Amino acid sequence: MSTKSEPDRIELLQGTLDLLILRMLLLGPLHGHALAKAIERNSEDVLQVEQGSLYPALHRLIKRGWISAEKGISENNRRAKFYRLTAKGRRQIVVETTRWDKLANAIARILRVTEQENRP
Amino acid sequence: MRWRSHLSDLTRDMQDHIEEEIRDNIARGLPPDEARYAALRKFGNMTRHREDTRAVWIQPLLEQFAQDARYGLRTLRRNPAFTLVAIITLALGIGMNTAVFSIVNTVLIEPLPYPDPQRLVWLAEWNERFKMEAVAGPDFIDWQKQAHSFEKIASYEYVDPVIEFGGNSDQHRAVEISPEFWSISGAHPALGKLFTAAGQDEIVLSYPFFERQFGHDPRVIGKLITLQGHPVTIVGVLPKTFRFVPPVAGFPGIEPKEIDAYIPSAVSPASQIRGRNMAILNVVAKLGPNVSIDAARTEMNAIQARIARQNPNGFYNLVQLRVQPLQERLMARDRRPLLVLLTAVSFVLLIACANMANLLLARAASRQKEIAIRAAIGAGRARLLRQFLAEGVLLSLLGGVAGLALARWAIALIIRLSPQAIPRLNEVHIDTQVLLFTLGLSLTTGILFGLSPAISFSKHELHDVLKEGGRTSSAAAAGGRVRAALVAIEMALAVILLISAGLMVKSFWRMNTHPAGFDPEKISVMKVSLSGRDYATLAAQATYMDRILDRAASVPGVTAVGIENAPVRGVIGVEGQPPFSPGQAPQATYYSVSAGYLRAIGMALQKGRWVTDNERNAVAVINESFARRVFGSNDPIGRRIRTPSPQDASMATIVGVVANLRYSKLDAEPEPETYLPYRRSPFLRSVDIVVRTIGDPAAIAPAVRKQISTVDSRHPVFGVKTLEQALSESIVPRRLNLFLLGSFAFAALFMALIGIYGVIAYSVTQRTHEIGVRMTLGAQRAGVVRIVLRDGLAIAFVGVIVGLIASFGLTRWMVSMLFDVQPVDLPTFAIVTSALMLTASLAMGIPALRAALVDPMIALRYE
Repeated sequence: MSTKSEPDRIELLQGTLDLLILRMLLLGPLHGHALAKAIERNSEDVLQVEQGSLYPALHRLIKRGWISAEKGISENNRRAKFYRLTAKGRRQIVVETTRWDKLANAIARILRVTEQENRP
Repeated sequence: MRWRSHLSDLTRDMQDHIEEEIRDNIARGLPPDEARYAALRKFGNMTRHREDTRAVWIQPLLEQFAQDARYGLRTLRRNPAFTLVAIITLALGIGMNTAVFSIVNTVLIEPLPYPDPQRLVWLAEWNERFKMEAVAGPDFIDWQKQAHSFEKIASYEYVDPVIEFGGNSDQHRAVEISPEFWSISGAHPALGKLFTAAGQDEIVLSYPFFERQFGHDPRVIGKLITLQGHPVTIVGVLPKTFRFVPPVAGFPGIEPKEIDAYIPSAVSPASQIRGRNMAILNVVAKLGPNVSIDAARTEMNAIQARIARQNPNGFYNLVQLRVQPLQERLMARDRRPLLVLLTAVSFVLLIACANMANLLLARAASRQKEIAIRAAIGAGRARLLRQFLAEGVLLSLLGGVAGLALARWAIALIIRLSPQAIPRLNEVHIDTQVLLFTLGLSLTTGILFGLSPAISFSKHELHDVLKEGGRTSSAAAAGGRVRAALVAIEMALAVILLISAGLMVKSFWRMNTHPAGFDPEKISVMKVSLSGRDYATLAAQATYMDRILDRAASVPGVTAVGIENAPVRGVIGVEGQPPFSPGQAPQATYYSVSAGYLRAIGMALQKGRWVTDNERNAVAVINESFARRVFGSNDPIGRRIRTPSPQDASMATIVGVVANLRYSKLDAEPEPETYLPYRRSPFLRSVDIVVRTIGDPAAIAPAVRKQISTVDSRHPVFGVKTLEQALSESIVPRRLNLFLLGSFAFAALFMALIGIYGVIAYSVTQRTHEIGVRMTLGAQRAGVVRIVLRDGLAIAFVGVIVGLIASFGLTRWMVSMLFDVQPVDLPTFAIVTSALMLTASLAMGIPALRAALVDPMIALRYE
């Protein structure tokens, strides 16, 4: 997550991390480190996330009942905690994604308008 | 707890995560050191992430509060002087409020100790002319017969019978009740049974009386004792928990007291005849299960109207029927003084709050730098506010605990000083409700004054603080204005309290101003009561009286002895004047007295002469009040008035007029009184002996008592006290009010003075630099003092003016607590104002002098 130079990185918006985690877990249960790697790979290192900040987010999601945690063995044969999407979490992805799309569209529209206005 | 399991492996999970990353990095070819470093950097601050994760589960606010509280506690420990002043202030404010609230809670809020208290009602006939509530016996009988709204109607009457048993003879407080009262009060006997019919020679004892006088001996049931010379049977004892609570109406001289015994009332249809023989009763009733008080009132009004139609003598035009919830009626008398006390004590709390706000503001000003730094390193405004709140609440809780201790002590003191002052006062205690009240009070005050420092800063001002290096800023100036306003409010509240207390003191002083010659501290009063066949005739009674008068007079140190028969009240009638129409005649109290009585009690003769012990004709002496009320400016000497004594053809010639003497009750207005020679009294069974002595009456009284008992040892003297004791007992409620209001006023004054001292002292400290400059430029020390005092006096002046204006409006609520003093009493107002300004100047004088003694050279260097 840190190979890009400073200006290219984007600070995460509040709540975005939650959506990213849910999205990654859609493919199957993951443990903490694997989850961090997955987010890194999929965002092509654009998104700047401190790996540690995954944990408060994970616990927030557990508390809401969108994911669950269970003990398991990692691919390196080590004990690890695996996070799994719950049925409730699955539904939530739809909700969150729709909301995100709406927000992104709205922002994009505003930006386009201002661009046009600024054109001489 | 769910969160515990979630958080249990958190640290290990995070460490595993980092190990994994290190392995990845090494696999990518980084040297081990760098691999570790990169992994740690990528993970971020592990402690913070762990805290954030914990915060997801644990109520973060609570945790922060605990942290704030810990920090606050440390701050308080570092400033012991501040903490001590704060806790004392709060303990005073909260403690006094807790004490008064527990009284109000018991007396006004707690329900009557009888079943279905909301169904109990008070029935009375309010007599507009005598300003008195009572029920005529025949009306009570008619109500009982005709009213259907009530389950039961009961009458009661307070009496003070002399009870004799086993050689003891003493006067006791008892009630004559109709048997219905037992079912209304839900009483069951602890021993024996309760009487079930009127007019029986039976008596039921209260538990304390049974315990005190009969040594807890169950064999008293069935025993005979002598009640007013008649033998009666003890049939039962009431349980310890039973209390007689109905109000005292009718005769204003009676104060609620512990009831010793219950006697069946003799009121019956046969004994009650309108216009001839009527008992004056108090009546309580219990509404039927589903009857509203309005329905009962409608029915009672109809019954009363019918009675009035059948008895067209004008009496019923003068009386007005009252049907009122009993609880409400019970409160009526005590409500006003208690509400006044409650208001007064809440003022004390307000002053305490203002003082605390002031202290915290001053401290916030001196902590500006600390606060600015905390803001600079990332504490939000809300976070800072919470810190102040935590400190405030912490202080107020500490103050609350101290206040609770103070309240416990104060309640014990009040009960010991004057247990009879307020009905049910001896039941006052600190219960859960009171504890909740105190907790609520502490939290509210803590939040109120805890928030106050927040007014004095905002974010951009904090920047200024850092730039200014801690010197006085605009923020401090704003804080200063708030503090000045707070002190002005404190002064205003203190003025109101001091004026209230001043009015009480003046009332007290008026009550205790005796006419010349009346020295209650030199007079003893004692009682003797005759019974039995030996004293069946008036002649025998009179001979006994003559002999005890001789004996008492022979005791060394006794200068005068007199006797006074138990007084009788009666309607005034004057020969040659048309009789007053029924119910409109003024009443007088008739005393039978001996010749020595005038000198013994110290009454002043205004006109004519006093009665002698062997009058040939029926004569009477009246008091000033009687003369003014009945004869106006005409000379009453030689006029003939009706007396309640049947033997003198009911007429007596007035031979003298005496000055009014407030004797039995200090706070009662003088009423019309008539004095008759005792030898012409119809009976002399029970008399007060008044003994005037040289020196301490308490020392001589035992000798007098012994001499009197030599006349007839079967009739011992009882109820010995000095007249001063008797008088001061009659004003116990007022004394309690005075004591409480006085303490509130002193606490208020004390706190207001601390407040004004604090503000001035603080401003002097803040202005030391400025004062140094002024002095260097040639300002005189006197000039410096003037500058400092000017500010303080302006604050005090504004406060006093506001307080005076408020007092003009508020003191009229106190009318019922005052005696012979107008609520707006200019001398009191003036004295309080000047005393307050004077003490305020003194409080300001200390810092002002300190300012004047500033050494300019040091002051200029002062940072």
